[in-house]
Amino acid sequence: MNLKPFSLLLPALLGLSLAAQTPVPPAKGVVLPVNAAIPEDPEIQKVIAPLAAEIKATFDLPLVKAPQGLFRGRRGEENLLGYWVADAMRLAAQGAINAPVRFAITNAGGLRSNLRAGQLKVADIFELMPFENELVVVELTGAELIQVVSEGIARRGGEPCSGIIARVEGSPEKGILTVTWADGSLIDPKATVKVATSDYLYGGGDSIPTLKTGRKPFTTGITLRQLLLDQCGVLGKANQDLLPPAPGRYSIPVPIQEAIRDKKFKF
Amino acid sequence: MDRRTFLAALGATAAATQLPLQAAAEPVQGSGRITLLHTNDTHSRIEPFGPGNGAISGLGGVTRRATLIKQLRQQLGSVLLLDAGDTFQGTPYFNRYKGRLDYQLMRMMGYDAGTLGNHDFDNGVGPLVEALEAMEQLQHANAPFALLNCNYDFKGAPALAKRVRPYQVKTFPGLRVGLTGVGVAFAGLVSDKNHEGITWRDPYESLKPVVKHLREVEKVDLVVLLSHLGYNLNGTAPDDLRLPGAVAGIDAIIGGHSHTFLEAPTKVPQAQGETLVFQVGFGGVNLGRMDFAVAKGTVRAASGSALPVLA
Ligand SMILES: [Zn+2]
Repeated sequence: MNLKPFSLLLPALLGLSLAAQTPVPPAKGVVLPVNAAIPEDPEIQKVIAPLAAEIKATFDLPLVKAPQGLFRGRRGEENLLGYWVADAMRLAAQGAINAPVRFAITNAGGLRSNLRAGQLKVADIFELMPFENELVVVELTGAELIQVVSEGIARRGGEPCSGIIARVEGSPEKGILTVTWADGSLIDPKATVKVATSDYLYGGGDSIPTLKTGRKPFTTGITLRQLLLDQCGVLGKANQDLLPPAPGRYSIPVPIQEAIRDKKFKF
Repeated sequence: MDRRTFLAALGATAAATQLPLQAAAEPVQGSGRITLLHTNDTHSRIEPFGPGNGAISGLGGVTRRATLIKQLRQQLGSVLLLDAGDTFQGTPYFNRYKGRLDYQLMRMMGYDAGTLGNHDFDNGVGPLVEALEAMEQLQHANAPFALLNCNYDFKGAPALAKRVRPYQVKTFPGLRVGLTGVGVAFAGLVSDKNHEGITWRDPYESLKPVVKHLREVEKVDLVVLLSHLGYNLNGTAPDDLRLPGAVAGIDAIIGGHSHTFLEAPTKVPQAQGETLVFQVGFGGVNLGRMDFAVAKGTVRAASGSALPVLA
């Protein structure tokens, strides 16, 4: 099909100026997948190869000593590795927005390995955090913060967090949740609180729905992995050990823990 | 060894193998065709995505992208290679080389123009300028590419102002293409200290005089916008889907920021015809391709009479 003759005639018929030149819409726009069927460009390959090797070499660099290791915890134990990650997120968020961040929450599912006791290397942090998830700061009310904690408990027995203490009492049929700040002081339900989390959780991953309603999101551009590497680097340079945070952020009776696992628990 | 010198030296040896561009269409003014190739949100993804990344596992990688681009350039002749921003942040390559490598590779691949995404400010204005300098100083047969933006006011950041143009015109056989760019608001995305001296302005209002100038003074045949606004913000902020309704006269929007995987461009009607809005995911997983034909005597008012693109 060729419409050119028609296009040439039309302006004369309509009495329109020939001066105006208009692009004709394309027949198609397509997506070309960049896949393994395409050979590698040797020029670019030559540039990248030594840099890739350099990056790989950095993976073996020593970061910090963790004499006790940091572990996600077995059944019924608290996720101290997760607490450390949440603490580091809260600290990095405060630096990024230059204001107090009172609460941080991440998802236990995103921590892909434990940190074994001994000398940690850069590669260990990549293994722990292979994803490119990014630190985000949002605003919640105190009431919403408590709701976020309760949604994390109902789903997984409590997602790793920083800045608060949560206690569940009552029965598996009717749990009662108390959440306070880490120093035991009460959370004002009406107060506006800056909250650090990942773009994954804020985007609706791992279903903590109330987190998604967070306002004024600030995407820091810092990956969780990078802030953990930075945190280890600071300790390592200061010749300090990386130690697990103290337990006690979540206290949940065993029957309720079991009911959560069996998806039979209700607040 | 200084990394910048190292890359420059490698570029010099590579230049000898660079293939000359092919001239294609016969030079009849106002009649021609052009292919736009484009990426967005490449985020320092130098290597392909590894396993465990779902549907995009094994996809991407600049060595393959470079081959694909070379092949298409040889086939098609009139090609513009464009990027919609967020080149920085996402892999250890960015942490180590601070974006210098990313921009240098873009030049080696033959990018004609890019724009600024929010993450390109992640290390602040100084390192962004340094990355652009490293790209300019590379010894390579390809010319340095331009950064285009018309809605950031760079008054307080002269070193960056020198390196970002509001628009650019590229001439091909029988065809003039006007390029411009817009960026997303800094609030909530870029901390104040990282965009010091740069003020965001409304992209719709900033674009109107630029598009008018390109059409009426530069007499371009095609206007292409590199946008880092995002595909669909549901009316909460300016976006690519609503832009054509606010600013007529743009033929193609190459979008980014929202990491939207479109299978084909979205056709958005506007006062002077329609705008093709496209975006191809993120991380260099895909290369977008749009083909435009400009026929002599085709009139805007009759823009319903589409010419099929010769494949
Ligand atoms: Zn972006």
